[in-house]
Amino acid sequence: MPSAKEILRKFTELKTLPHVAIKVTQLVNDDRSTMQDFEEIIKLDPVLVTRLLRLVNSPYFGLSQKVESISKAVVFAGMKQLRNLVAAEGLRGLFKGEDADFSAPKLWMHSATVAILSGMIAKRIFGKDGEDVFLAGIIHDIGLIVENQIAGEALREACKAYREGKGTLIECERNAIGADHAEVGYLLTKDWGLPQEVLGSIKSHHLAKQVKSVSSTASILQLAEFMAGKMQYWAIPGPIEPLPPELTEHVKEKMADYKIIIRDLPGEMVKAKELYESDE
Amino acid sequence: MTEPTFDAIFEDLIDANAELQSFLAILDALLPEASMLMVSESGAVLDGARPLAVALPVREKMARDARGTDGFITGKADNGTRCHAISLAKFSAVLIISCTASPEDDWEPGSAIAALLRNTLELALYRQEREMLVADHEQSVRQISILQQQHGKLIEDNYRQYRLNQDREKEYARKLESEIAKQTAELREANVRLEEISRLKSDFLANMSHELRTPMNAIIGFSELLSETPLAEEQLEYARTITQSATSLLTLINDILDLAKIEAGKLELEHLPFDLAEVIDNVVAMFKIPAREKGVVVASTIDNRIPKRIIGDCNRLRQILINLAGNAMKFTEQGGVDIEVAYERSAAGRIVSRFSVRDSGIGIPADRVEAIFEKFTQADGSTTRKYGGTGLGLAICLQLVELMGGHLAVASEEGKGSTFSFVIPLEEAPAEIISLQERKEACREKTGGGGKILLVEDNAVNQRLASILITREGYEVEVASDGTEALEHLRHQAFDLVLMDVQMPNMDGMEATRRIRAIEADPALRQDYVGLRDLKQPLGIVGLTAHARKEDETACYESGMNGFLTKPIIKAKLTMILGEMMPGISSPKDNEPS
Repeated sequence: MPSAKEILRKFTELKTLPHVAIKVTQLVNDDRSTMQDFEEIIKLDPVLVTRLLRLVNSPYFGLSQKVESISKAVVFAGMKQLRNLVAAEGLRGLFKGEDADFSAPKLWMHSATVAILSGMIAKRIFGKDGEDVFLAGIIHDIGLIVENQIAGEALREACKAYREGKGTLIECERNAIGADHAEVGYLLTKDWGLPQEVLGSIKSHHLAKQVKSVSSTASILQLAEFMAGKMQYWAIPGPIEPLPPELTEHVKEKMADYKIIIRDLPGEMVKAKELYESDE
Repeated sequence: MTEPTFDAIFEDLIDANAELQSFLAILDALLPEASMLMVSESGAVLDGARPLAVALPVREKMARDARGTDGFITGKADNGTRCHAISLAKFSAVLIISCTASPEDDWEPGSAIAALLRNTLELALYRQEREMLVADHEQSVRQISILQQQHGKLIEDNYRQYRLNQDREKEYARKLESEIAKQTAELREANVRLEEISRLKSDFLANMSHELRTPMNAIIGFSELLSETPLAEEQLEYARTITQSATSLLTLINDILDLAKIEAGKLELEHLPFDLAEVIDNVVAMFKIPAREKGVVVASTIDNRIPKRIIGDCNRLRQILINLAGNAMKFTEQGGVDIEVAYERSAAGRIVSRFSVRDSGIGIPADRVEAIFEKFTQADGSTTRKYGGTGLGLAICLQLVELMGGHLAVASEEGKGSTFSFVIPLEEAPAEIISLQERKEACREKTGGGGKILLVEDNAVNQRLASILITREGYEVEVASDGTEALEHLRHQAFDLVLMDVQMPNMDGMEATRRIRAIEADPALRQDYVGLRDLKQPLGIVGLTAHARKEDETACYESGMNGFLTKPIIKAKLTMILGEMMPGISSPKDNEPS
């Protein structure tokens, strides 16, 4: 059975992020970079420019004035928001094709929901900037896309086993494929220059225990993953794995907060649709 | 997708009674004297802080009845007090309450106590809802604070980027400066290199010209001598043609040498008094014969405000005027050539004068005016073939005039003629200095007085030529072929003058001269030299060199020579210098051995 690394070796479609995404990620990590630098990069991709302008002018930003210049849009969006937009733009195209056992578009919707939920939890409950968890949400299941392409049959077997309750998804994947999507996803993205927190959260998002403090990217992602699954935003039907007990305790304490988040989620999804919705 | 609810998502952790319990707690706090219990939808019983015991059948009946109405259902507790049940739609539960403060009161709908309890219940409900509102508010506050942080960060970022941009700009400016400095340095270096190359070329040219002059010496000298021998008419014509051709070739070589010297920055102007009118007359005289042949008139005028005797380089001034007049003559078929020296103004003790050479010749097309000052260029290529000339003349004039502090200009109209002019400051010569010309004239009177000359020359052809020329002047000549031989001659014979070639094998002219002067200065040594021992003043030594540069002349004088003659030897110049330096009839022979 192939290991995660062997699966990755066969995966040709997305060894690295698209050029623009790499540049933008580098710029985010470089504190000597300026908005002009971002502008220069974004300009190279007309699709991205359109996306950016639409996003900045969408209810997600809720600006009173219409933004028409790239430079202004870049400033309004901010560096990390730009990075997320570029990453979403780069990955969206991969989430294609569906059948009874596995639906890539559904997985994309799941990723978007997890991303938005994570952002909301980070901002509304922990009062911290939600851009990194958003990115984690967008890419956390990329490993499934890799498996789908390299070991489609085996993945379907795993899905079937999972649906039939023969173990957690991770267990079923390991049995059928020899690797799991959390590991594959982590290995794929670890050289993309993303924050370490984001990479770690990809690896741990299916763990049955809490890995770090409740406010960490990893915990927020686990929570969002659980909530999105419960909301049926999920590509692979099957029993939802329970939340780690520490996180359950946390939700119990913040019940009112989570009620509000669940209440507001549909509105936020509509507002942010420029970030994840396809033009097609 | 269905609208998800919290309960649906977190069904596992929902304790259905938790909410009831919290409501009971709120109500307990609001009604400190009441005791109460709650019956949930599923029939579970929750106790308040002050428990109220109601028998199961009573409780079940009360609950059932309460669910069927809006109002209160009254019943009896186990301790005999009255209690009241009311349905709470929000929780699908029934509250049973016993209020000891008002046991006998009327609990009918609309009664004061019923209304009070209802309000209290509402309040408790609101309190619970308030929890949500508070959470909502807190979330908003957190989000606002994030926005504020982001706003602050944006401003900070902006400032940081402003500074970054400033730094970058400075960096660019610095790079640009250093780039410019680098390129300037490179250009400067290239320029130095080019100047060096140009100088080397000029040096080479100058040397080459000297090499050319040496055989010219022989050609001109011997062709002149040949013309003076008895010859048939045809032979004489051949000889003259050789002379003329050689002379014009020499002129060309001299032009090239001049130009090379000017470009190498080695041309120095003399600073001696001379008679301006005489120079002008000389030039006019030169063109008298060709002018007469062509049927044109050559004339000159000098403003009388210009002093007669001035200080400067008469030879170079003459060269300029000859060149300009020669050009004018070349291109003029009718009318005439006018040389004019006009007074312009007086400034700083100098007389600023305009020299112009005007002709009525073919003129120069306007678009070629610039080009005529270029080397090797004439108004158009075809003029070279028609009128001859090297095209070097004007380039030399231009440079010479600039050396004199002026600027050569031309005004021309095609078909009507051209005027070349330049304005230079002239300095009046002090009256007491006797002009070179006068000195020469004085010398000329005493020529042909006889005497003995030692010619030191290594080249056999030049030996013969010079010997013949000297003999013709009426002097005796002895020949030595290098410095050592010359000293040997002086040991045995007396001479009136030594003509000393500078460049010779074994001992060159400079060294020989230094030795002679050393011997003269040493009374003991002197006795061994017949040619030196009885001299009352130093022996006259005239250097002969093909190097016509100022520093060559200086070097000659420094080695102890007291005369200087350039090769090829021109008969007239030799006559002059011999007349000057040889003891003639009219001058006292005080340096002759007695």
